[in-house]
Amino acid sequence: MATALVSATGADPADDLRRGDTLALRWRTGFDKSMGYLLPLLFLVALIPIIDLVWYISSQAIPTLSWQVLTSYGNYQSQDALGVPIVTTFLFVTLATTIAVCIGLFGGIATAEFLSDQTAAWVRTSANLLAGMPSVIVGYFGYFLFCLYFGWGLSFVAGVFTLSFFMCPYVFRTADLAFTSVPRHIREAAYGSGTKPVQYILKVGTPIAFPQILTGVFLAMAIGVGETAPIILTVSPSVLVPTGLLSPATYLTYLIYTGWENAATSHLALVIAYQAAFIIIVTVLALNVVVRVVAAWYRKRLAGLYQ
Amino acid sequence: MSGESIVSNGGPVVSCQKLSVVAKNRNILDGVDLDFAPRSLTAVIGPSGCGKTTFVRTLNRMTELTSGLKVKGAVYYLGQNIYDRGINPVLVRRRIGMVFQRPTVFPMSIFENAAFGLRLIHESEDEIDKAITEALQRAGLWDEVKDDLDRSAFSLSGGQQQRLCIARALAVRPRVLLMDEPTSALDPIASKRVEETMRRLKEEIVLILVTHNVGQAARVSDRVAFLHKGSLIEVGPTAEILERPREELTQQFVTGHFA
Amino acid sequence: MDSNPVAGNPGDREPIPPDIVDPLPKAPPPSSGAPAGTGRAGFVLYKIVPLAPALVPAAIVIAVAIVLVHVAGLSIWFTGWQLHVTLPMNFGTSFWGSAFNANDGQYGMAVFIVGSFLTAVPALFLSMIIGLGIAIASTTYLPDFMARILDPFVDLLAGIPSVVYGIWAFLVIAPYLGGTVFPWSVGHLAFIPGFAAHTTHPVSPTTEGTGLPLAIIVLTLMALPITTLLIRDALRSIPRDLWESGLALGATRWEVVRRVSIRQGSRGILSAAFLGFGRAIGETVAVAMVISASDRFPVNVYDSTYTMAAFMYLSLDGAYGDPSFLAALAELALVLLLITLAVNLIGRRLVSHIYAQEVAGL
Repeated sequence: MATALVSATGADPADDLRRGDTLALRWRTGFDKSMGYLLPLLFLVALIPIIDLVWYISSQAIPTLSWQVLTSYGNYQSQDALGVPIVTTFLFVTLATTIAVCIGLFGGIATAEFLSDQTAAWVRTSANLLAGMPSVIVGYFGYFLFCLYFGWGLSFVAGVFTLSFFMCPYVFRTADLAFTSVPRHIREAAYGSGTKPVQYILKVGTPIAFPQILTGVFLAMAIGVGETAPIILTVSPSVLVPTGLLSPATYLTYLIYTGWENAATSHLALVIAYQAAFIIIVTVLALNVVVRVVAAWYRKRLAGLYQ
Repeated sequence: MSGESIVSNGGPVVSCQKLSVVAKNRNILDGVDLDFAPRSLTAVIGPSGCGKTTFVRTLNRMTELTSGLKVKGAVYYLGQNIYDRGINPVLVRRRIGMVFQRPTVFPMSIFENAAFGLRLIHESEDEIDKAITEALQRAGLWDEVKDDLDRSAFSLSGGQQQRLCIARALAVRPRVLLMDEPTSALDPIASKRVEETMRRLKEEIVLILVTHNVGQAARVSDRVAFLHKGSLIEVGPTAEILERPREELTQQFVTGHFA
Repeated sequence: MDSNPVAGNPGDREPIPPDIVDPLPKAPPPSSGAPAGTGRAGFVLYKIVPLAPALVPAAIVIAVAIVLVHVAGLSIWFTGWQLHVTLPMNFGTSFWGSAFNANDGQYGMAVFIVGSFLTAVPALFLSMIIGLGIAIASTTYLPDFMARILDPFVDLLAGIPSVVYGIWAFLVIAPYLGGTVFPWSVGHLAFIPGFAAHTTHPVSPTTEGTGLPLAIIVLTLMALPITTLLIRDALRSIPRDLWESGLALGATRWEVVRRVSIRQGSRGILSAAFLGFGRAIGETVAVAMVISASDRFPVNVYDSTYTMAAFMYLSLDGAYGDPSFLAALAELALVLLLITLAVNLIGRRLVSHIYAQEVAGL
């Protein structure tokens, strides 16, 4: 039924691979080639800002930093002393992470193991929504709930809880995902041989899922260290380390923000802002690197489990 | 010699000469010499890992997509080495089409799928219409889809999708069609339809079929080439190779002593 | 007409490609873990306790909505099938007005809402285009080893805290904009509507460089990692033989990407747009530090403005003890919350895996 198409002696100019290279074809090929050069250049749009940012902050902060600056507990409003903010930030993050892990780890595991598919879908959606909420809204929530309704005022503990609520969806998601990605055959083998759910979680799931959960915790910490709104809106600042749950407290990011506010008037505030920014960047980048390394290790391990 | 005169003199449409493919340290393909005459269907068979897929992919320069593969030797299409400098692979692939293992229809309507190649070279709408109809007929799909070409291609069954892929490849009027195990993802009935299409097409163009199914080779091919560990062991008319092969290895493979 | 014997054959159908994470058979219900005969204590221990932490995120989300509604003074009730909402004064006429004066009880929020969109929409647009370009370069044009090195740098953009972005943009980019870019564009691009200088009050552009353009730049950088990552994911998930089929028909890489890949990955790309927008409109601190807040609509592209999130952030401490101001802020928070929730819901729904991204906390 083929028409005068491909008879063996039909002369089709396109058959000549050299002369068939028409202008149109060369245009198409040329366009493709130039995209191959132009599009990768767009990476610069992402690369230049981040390199510039890290470089700028580092070059401003490193010359002024010293061990003394980092450990001195003086009044950071009148002298270059970061001891108090560093310790307070550490307290904040540790406590908030603990709470976030309690919620997120158990919640994530429960979602992966116990909930029906329908319920699990709802729960996961809510975790995603929580993760997507603007930090200012979580801050508002913390202020209204903890500071006003619970009557804690602008206090350390209000900040800890608000921060932990902000951080928990990340731990939740990774814990859930970690347990859901346990290789099917291993999970079925365990349950098939009569393992009870709690035993399974402790003895089989956790060892396998552990690296992934660890990345979730570090990730949450990295996010927590860099947050401003949840803290500033719920905690009043102080130059002292918090003495009790209801006392005021400061935070590294708060120093940066104050530096911005007083950039024109106070040189010290700016110096401290750079230093604080540097410390935060180093911490966050270090955590990110650790996360990546652990994630790569985890992927290898997981692949090994599939044989 | 121009393309037409090669062919009218009975010369091969495609000719491989000392074709080798090297990756890292291994020879995936080692010194293959093979010619393909017009209007024929050559089945390339061999155990898994023998290099038959790689072989077929060198014929339209698809090996370039995998990093680390080096092609040595030459592949002549109507007398021109497709690996020459200055030959555009895009053009080569229009003359030497390919159908893959799984049906790979694009997320578009049946019409748009078939028209894909033609739209690239800016044929007029009329031309495209005619070419589509023809291609779908040649692929044996026309009767089943002619009432609604604007349906999504995904509404077709697997076997129909594969025939659509064949039509899509035929629409740009290639002289050669490479088929890499085109029925391995299909059930027997769909496979039969595709084999019918192959039998019709081999009257018109050159078909090179990679298959692990010796029965299929027996049913559709004129010629069988047997590859083993990258080397061409034996090639000849189907009946000969399958019933009275000269080489020991061929005999063993064909009788199922190893797969 | 030969009724197609093939079409109805179930074995003929293409198997549905497995989802990124295989749906697992559910574990035996927890009750099987409860020792026999433990009654109520066992019920609590084995059924309620596992469930409780899982419901916390949902509880928080709901609590946020409830608290905001309560503070805002909205009343919501049902009669029969109908939902009634009483809008207190702020959602009334003054809400959409642009006059804002807390002392006079005027809480016109229009400026903030418009400002949020004025900053977020261009930022989304830019980050989608750049993200698309980077993703295509990374998946199609760059050799593997290069992509593997460069991709993490883009993801790193997501790790920088917003306050650091804010201060960097304020100290480094702003002077450059105010001192170099704006004078140039005012001189050369004045024919484009909006790009001319405004010389009467308010004077715009100023030499400070803060305002709408800087906010858009910062937001683009912050949304970029999300868009790039999601689009990259979408493009990567395209089966290899589909890609090769396109090339085998005599198309260039660009043509296959443009005609096939983008269509095939359209869901992921759309989700990138929604989630990127959610990020851009919700970004608080960085925007607050670069917009040089004002309570009027911008007069040209260089002018300063205000966004919902930034306004909420900067005004809270001025509102302590003022219930109606607080209520107004809570209402604004509700608007922002609704927008963010809607955008996130749609965005996540479009992506087939359970979570859009495993490792990078997006």
